[in-house]
Amino acid sequence: MRYVIHRQRWLALLLVLCIGLTACGAADPTITPDSSAAAPTALLVEPAPTVAPGSTEAAPTPTSAAGAAALNLADWAAVEAAARGQTVNWYIWGGAEGINSFVDTFYGQALKERYDITLNRVPLADTVDAVNQVLSEKEAGQAVGAVDLIWINGENFKSLKQADMLLPDWAQQLPNSRYVDWSNPAVNLDFGEPVENMESPWSSAQFQFVYDTARMPADELPRSYAELKDWACAHPGRFTYVAPGPGGFIGTRFVKQALYEISGDAEQWAGAFNQALWDTWSPQLWQYLNELKPCLWRAGATYPKDESEAHQLFANSETDFTFVQAVVGPGALISDGIVPPTAKAFVFDDNMIGDFNYVAIPANAPHPAAALVLANLILDPQLQAAQVLPENGFGLGFGIDITRVDDPAAQAALESAGAQLGAAATPADELARSLRGDMVAEYQNLIEQEWERNVLQQ
Amino acid sequence: MSWLRRTVIWLALGAGLLAPIAVLGVYAFSQRWFYPALLPPEWTASTFVRQLTRPETGTALLNSSLIALLVSLLALLVGYPAARALELGQLPAKGLIYALLFVPTVVPTVATGIGLNILFLRLGLAGTRLGVALVHLVPVLPYAVFTLGGVFAAYDPTYEAQARVLGASRWMIWRRVTLPLLLPGLVVTALFAFLISWSQYVLTFLIGGGQLVTLPTLLFTTVPGGNQATTAALALVFVAPLFVVIALTARYLAGSRVRGGELLLQ
Repeated sequence: MRYVIHRQRWLALLLVLCIGLTACGAADPTITPDSSAAAPTALLVEPAPTVAPGSTEAAPTPTSAAGAAALNLADWAAVEAAARGQTVNWYIWGGAEGINSFVDTFYGQALKERYDITLNRVPLADTVDAVNQVLSEKEAGQAVGAVDLIWINGENFKSLKQADMLLPDWAQQLPNSRYVDWSNPAVNLDFGEPVENMESPWSSAQFQFVYDTARMPADELPRSYAELKDWACAHPGRFTYVAPGPGGFIGTRFVKQALYEISGDAEQWAGAFNQALWDTWSPQLWQYLNELKPCLWRAGATYPKDESEAHQLFANSETDFTFVQAVVGPGALISDGIVPPTAKAFVFDDNMIGDFNYVAIPANAPHPAAALVLANLILDPQLQAAQVLPENGFGLGFGIDITRVDDPAAQAALESAGAQLGAAATPADELARSLRGDMVAEYQNLIEQEWERNVLQQ
Repeated sequence: MSWLRRTVIWLALGAGLLAPIAVLGVYAFSQRWFYPALLPPEWTASTFVRQLTRPETGTALLNSSLIALLVSLLALLVGYPAARALELGQLPAKGLIYALLFVPTVVPTVATGIGLNILFLRLGLAGTRLGVALVHLVPVLPYAVFTLGGVFAAYDPTYEAQARVLGASRWMIWRRVTLPLLLPGLVVTALFAFLISWSQYVLTFLIGGGQLVTLPTLLFTTVPGGNQATTAALALVFVAPLFVVIALTARYLAGSRVRGGELLLQ
């Protein structure tokens, strides 16, 4: 009996301790809105005149009087001063260990050392989770939310832009924005959606195939969608692609590229959504994919749902190809142990879609000044050079236009990095020759919905 | 013959329960283990050590433990009176009330989670451990009430009357009669609550705003990367504390009612 009582006392003590600790946790300043943070409303200047896509070089627009009072982007030193001591909550897809450690090491240290900012990297399983968080905060009427910066592009950007939950009028005012080629439609349009100064580029990506040099000689590789179908049907079950849809946007891209080739002219798909064009060519697209289907892995009854499933099939020799977007090809995947060291990237002769990815700041960010400093740091030429090196684990391409960098040391670093992409990378000239822009988001929805009806369920 | 049968049963149980974890162990301590290799070509502890020593892992372990303990306590506080009233209180439509209590286990949490997040943001509970613990009660309470209901169904309240006749105060009755009789059932309920809370991802992520890192959020954000070794290492970190908790409560898990009687007689 006495023994039992003792146990109960210990249990009670433990629970009291637990409640106490939990109560302390609730007061954690990184979780609850920080009262010392600059009020984000101060940054929300009058809606800026929208920058038309293409009309770039918009000279730093003089910020309105309201903005000047707290954070004036023209006075960058003041932004840095306001950011000092803040913690920036960066919501970022957390699946790749290489990316996580690159972010913590390179940006985390530079932020701390140069600006006294603490980086809190918040890992996401899917970027849409961060979008939902911001939208929930809007719904709940939270003037100060939890998210400072999001790694974003495409429909997630569009969702937040349409919800009016993005900090406006800042990207082209960052000091390092001078290295960005804002006149490039691939930069100022994000999946066809005008960026309009609401997000700043981080890196570039381009669709590439991956094969295993130990299994296949380079001269047997298909170099077009027509050749791919022949190859797949000569090797039944050895090819598959990622199902287009949420999480499988590399599969959507695979299908878009097929549409480019089948229609014979990728350029006609640029610009605004064209229903007639879609109606003309989509039947032939579905026909191509349905002819390919019986030759696919498991005869097209099922498809990998994302890149990592495709990587696993490839690594385990169930299929002979996978897909990457990184300028180092599968370099980062090799060092992560996800695919064999003999994997190598290649491209078709044409129609390989490339684009940029960005960082955006929610309108209710708790620490907008620190987020701005981080977005600017990302464009630092030395860090841009570091991000492409395969050994650093990130491996996506430059977000800046390296010809705009004037500092000789930085220029040398960028050029040397560009020359050290590793043996797994696609040669730069082949990437450039096959590069095509993406189409507007309307096509994406059509492809994802109609693929399911016309191909998957056939 | 019976020893043979017992050995076979133990072996089968061991293999069925431990084999999945053994596979995790092999993945966690190897690298580049691709088909058709029968065994991993490279063994290394570096992935496991790296995952274990990451500061996030420590934070996640602390958050998960504190939240799960708090959820266990809250589940008992809310579930105890509910179950007692349902089983001993002669309520009408008992079955209907139980059915309603089970609704949260049928409705997908994603459907309610976003609405709950908006509510918790308004209440200022989002992003806090307390908020996450409270939201964990949604999936936990049905099980807690049901388990405690079973405990009370087998409980004879006339022991309490007996003690009252002998002059015990209400507190003394609870302390000396009710609690010892119910203790094993309470521990089992707390254990269930702990286990369910421990494995919550969607609700934790939504209410925690992504910034409150627990072991499931760490694990779930790692899985999409497709790195088997990292995922397996984190899965082991996720599972290990559960073994400790179950070991600590094991004596209550078997034949709880009998033990309750023994304790009273001691």
